[in-house]
Amino acid sequence: MRLWLIVAFAAPALAGAAFAVLHVWPIGQPEAIGENAGDPARGAYLARMSGCIACHTNTGGGGQPLAGGVRLPTDFGTFYSPNLTTDPDHGIGGWTIQDFAAALRQGVSPEGTPYYPSFPYPFYNAFSDQDVADLWAAFKTVPPVSVPSKPHEMMPPFNLRAGLKVWRALYHIPETFTSDPEESDLWNRGKFIVEGPAHCGACHTPRNLLGARQAEMALHGAEKLPDGGKSPSITSAALKKEGWTVNALKYALQTGIMPNGDVFGGSMGEVVRDGTAFLSDEDRTAIATYLLERDG
Amino acid sequence: MKFTVLTVAGSLLLTGAVAAYAHGGASGIIKERMDAMGVMGDVMKSLSAMMRGEQAYDADAVRKGAAAIRSHSGEALTKLFPEHSIEGPSEAKPEIWTDWQAFSDLSDQLGVFATGLEAAADNGLAHGGGGAGMMGAGSMMSGGGMMGSAPMMGGAGPMADPAQLAQMPADGVFNMVAQTCSACHSRFRVEKK
Repeated sequence: MRLWLIVAFAAPALAGAAFAVLHVWPIGQPEAIGENAGDPARGAYLARMSGCIACHTNTGGGGQPLAGGVRLPTDFGTFYSPNLTTDPDHGIGGWTIQDFAAALRQGVSPEGTPYYPSFPYPFYNAFSDQDVADLWAAFKTVPPVSVPSKPHEMMPPFNLRAGLKVWRALYHIPETFTSDPEESDLWNRGKFIVEGPAHCGACHTPRNLLGARQAEMALHGAEKLPDGGKSPSITSAALKKEGWTVNALKYALQTGIMPNGDVFGGSMGEVVRDGTAFLSDEDRTAIATYLLERDG
Repeated sequence: MKFTVLTVAGSLLLTGAVAAYAHGGASGIIKERMDAMGVMGDVMKSLSAMMRGEQAYDADAVRKGAAAIRSHSGEALTKLFPEHSIEGPSEAKPEIWTDWQAFSDLSDQLGVFATGLEAAADNGLAHGGGGAGMMGAGSMMSGGGMMGSAPMMGGAGPMADPAQLAQMPADGVFNMVAQTCSACHSRFRVEKK
């Protein structure tokens, strides 16, 4: 048999085999988290901080709280945030706390399929078991909304979810929060919020061609956000150069007003409106302190 | 003759281009509205220093600043956005014209809050000044759910009552002005910087 014939027959077969392997390749670890007593008020606060409510509530389209449907256009296709209400069929009402923990911290669905990194699960890995229990207690208070999640409209080959397993193997770097004993409690609280729940790096760290964050450029700003805008560098050197102080930054996270008198627009306007404006003054001070006093 | 006309026309065009370039590339109505936004930005800059407690509170300055913002709100603002005027350095999103009602509602709302700030200037700052404007940190849980009532969430939201605004601490009304700026910029401004 001629070589080209072999190739012609073998290539699709190999691709098929590779795909089958990808399909069954198990990802994630079982979550050993128990049925901790969660505090729903603390969980709701964490949900605000984490952007759950902002991203999963289609405010502009008149959607119900956490019922999903927010459109996120990217170079890889258009994402729609899913329904996170307690509806058993269309939301997460049928989930266990272990399912919830695996989704949140590992980005793996109860069926074992990987989530797209549009869901910032690598940051949520910073959550402790108690944080997860509190969040879960809060999510259980959300009224069910019987609206199906809108499927993502991804461009090939990004529509093949199995391909995300390769992406994970290459790029998935879970945040594990470690406090710095040399620094103050306030600074460390800020570090937790910035690197974990508030997922600042999701927009302020540039991404490579496959949408992975470039760790060495953490918080250096990104050129191309999904809304067509840019995100500025928020390293401490850049912030200081732009005239930011802890007081000014803390105030901006509450009101949206920058030191030059301009206000945040774009997605940062939404981050303040739906997120940081709800935080305690102490947490906003912590974020500002960490961002201005960290190295880099 | 023909040559002269062409030369004159050409140099006129050039002059126009040079003038436009001198203003950061903006000209005509786009420059006009960028200047108007600049005026409001300057007011926000000087007043926010007071609201943050970095400068002494000056009720007269607050009143004057609020009046300046009011004069640039409502139709005074929307008339500077004729359809499809997004050339050059403009940061306007085309959604302004597909969602004109929301855009002009926000501009009207800015006028209401600026008027409220003018009236509330003598009230001074609230003690402490924490929380998130109308909604404290705990409001997510009020009403028993994760969300509670979220009056500002929809962008424009309900119109505030000017008489009520006049009773509020000035920094509270100031925050509502800023939230209106930000709500509008979030929806209708491209972040180029």
